[in-house]
Amino acid sequence: MTPPLLSVDKLEVVYNRAITAIQGISLSVQTGQIVAILGTNGAGKSTTLRAISGFLGIDDARVTEGAVTFKGQRIENRPPNEVTRLGIVLVPEREKVFPNLTVAENLAAPFAPSMSNAERREREDLIYHFFPRLADLRTRTGGLLSGGERQMLAVASGLVCKPELLLIDELSLGLAPVVVEDLMQRLLQIRKELGITIVIVEQSAAVALEIADYGYVLENGRVVLDGDRERLTSHGDIQEFYLGQSSGDRRNYRDVKQYRRSRRWYG
Amino acid sequence: MQLFVNIIVLSSIYALIACGYVLIYRVSRVLNLAHGELMMLGSYLLLTTASSFSGHPAAAIAAAVVLSLTVGVLVYVFLMRKMTGEMALAAVLTTVALGILLRGLMVLIWSAQQQYPGQALGFSNPAIALPGGGRISTFAALLVLATALTYAALFFFLRFGRWGVRMRAAGQNPLLAAQRGINLHAVYALAWGLSTLTGSIAGMLISLDSGLTNTMVIIGLKAFPAALVGGLDSLAGALVGALIIGAAEVLSIQYIDPLLSDVVPFLILIAMLVVRPWGLFGTREELDRV
Repeated sequence: MTPPLLSVDKLEVVYNRAITAIQGISLSVQTGQIVAILGTNGAGKSTTLRAISGFLGIDDARVTEGAVTFKGQRIENRPPNEVTRLGIVLVPEREKVFPNLTVAENLAAPFAPSMSNAERREREDLIYHFFPRLADLRTRTGGLLSGGERQMLAVASGLVCKPELLLIDELSLGLAPVVVEDLMQRLLQIRKELGITIVIVEQSAAVALEIADYGYVLENGRVVLDGDRERLTSHGDIQEFYLGQSSGDRRNYRDVKQYRRSRRWYG
Repeated sequence: MQLFVNIIVLSSIYALIACGYVLIYRVSRVLNLAHGELMMLGSYLLLTTASSFSGHPAAAIAAAVVLSLTVGVLVYVFLMRKMTGEMALAAVLTTVALGILLRGLMVLIWSAQQQYPGQALGFSNPAIALPGGGRISTFAALLVLATALTYAALFFFLRFGRWGVRMRAAGQNPLLAAQRGINLHAVYALAWGLSTLTGSIAGMLISLDSGLTNTMVIIGLKAFPAALVGGLDSLAGALVGALIIGAAEVLSIQYIDPLLSDVVPFLILIAMLVVRPWGLFGTREELDRV
């Protein structure tokens, strides 16, 4: 088996030197895969993505243990701009566009000042190929976009950085199902045409497992379950807690025990 | 007419200094209270280059301009860089300390006497008669021109420049900017460099016009209300704020009492802080974060 594009090994992240947000998460992403990270609020999904893409001093968070390896290179605790230049780009959950910049400026801000005009135009055209709607909105201010348009712009402004690995935090948050469906299809198209590897973090397992090849389920800062799409969609716990399909007979809440069958402890 | 000319000149001084406060605040949310001292340092640098490049005033001015840009970048690299990620208050207090330090050093190095860089460079400063009966000194006219050019250049740079877009992006959301590959330290260093440069140009022109003592800091301090009245994160606001403060000061000297000149800017500042703390053109939410 080829070495993974990204591997996260027993990662531990501590906020404010006191709060352990994730404790010993391991996962690996193969080139060309779409990998879903699932879990409820506070499970550590976003923190995992943020740790991969790098923290700033103002976050007051640090990777205290474990390793993040991208193409054979250790990248944990590097500043975000360096990680982006290496080819990992994050589309964050909140504050994902610059509200006072126009759509065109949002897309131009990531360009290195030394980049040639031809290169700039080429990358812009690529964006408008995937998201033709953004071409009509060029002069619109980022803060005035609708939720779906904003998400589109966020993914697009990540794409202009020419990532090899795109990390997307909660693509479906607050969006209508039809918009989410459309965005998911764009992601498939982007992977197919550009060969970009994608990691998506989702609370909505139904949405994520529709396009993902592989998935990890996080709970309380740990990986409790992982497997390819078939395994996860057929798994009893996923069906019950995430996909909302109960096995038929009504059950008492007292009997519910999450992931007892497959709990795995790392570290 | 003369009154009008005086208002324009004084407003230009304040506007040229105020844009330095705005640049740094807008990009990094830090209030640079050492701006007045950095401005004064610019004019002392001109005094020094004037004596070392005697006979070549253009070279002296160019050297002073480059030096002041360098000073701004160095202040960021050696001092403020360490403050990124700390509380805004800590960064502001650092600039206060820097200001006090610079003020002391400048008296030690250049003494507290009144000095004339214009003489050292061999410039005379004849008054120009304006149509309509007003008079304006050559360097005051140059200062008005420099202010107009600086603002035009800054507007253009921030609106269309490649670094300008990055500066605005970093000012709005530093984390996202970093995640989009923007090197925050480079952007902040550039902001400090430009801010010190514009401040120093103001300082040089003021000292060429009316000489140089260590009381020049007061002018820098009085430009702060101009920046704040306009809104700390708005360049257009700084222009309007400077006009308001300049007009109020000149008019109160003319019609009420010359002693009021140092008081009026701060009276307006206090009035503004009570009524509309985020300034005329500032963004309201921006202020909550400080």
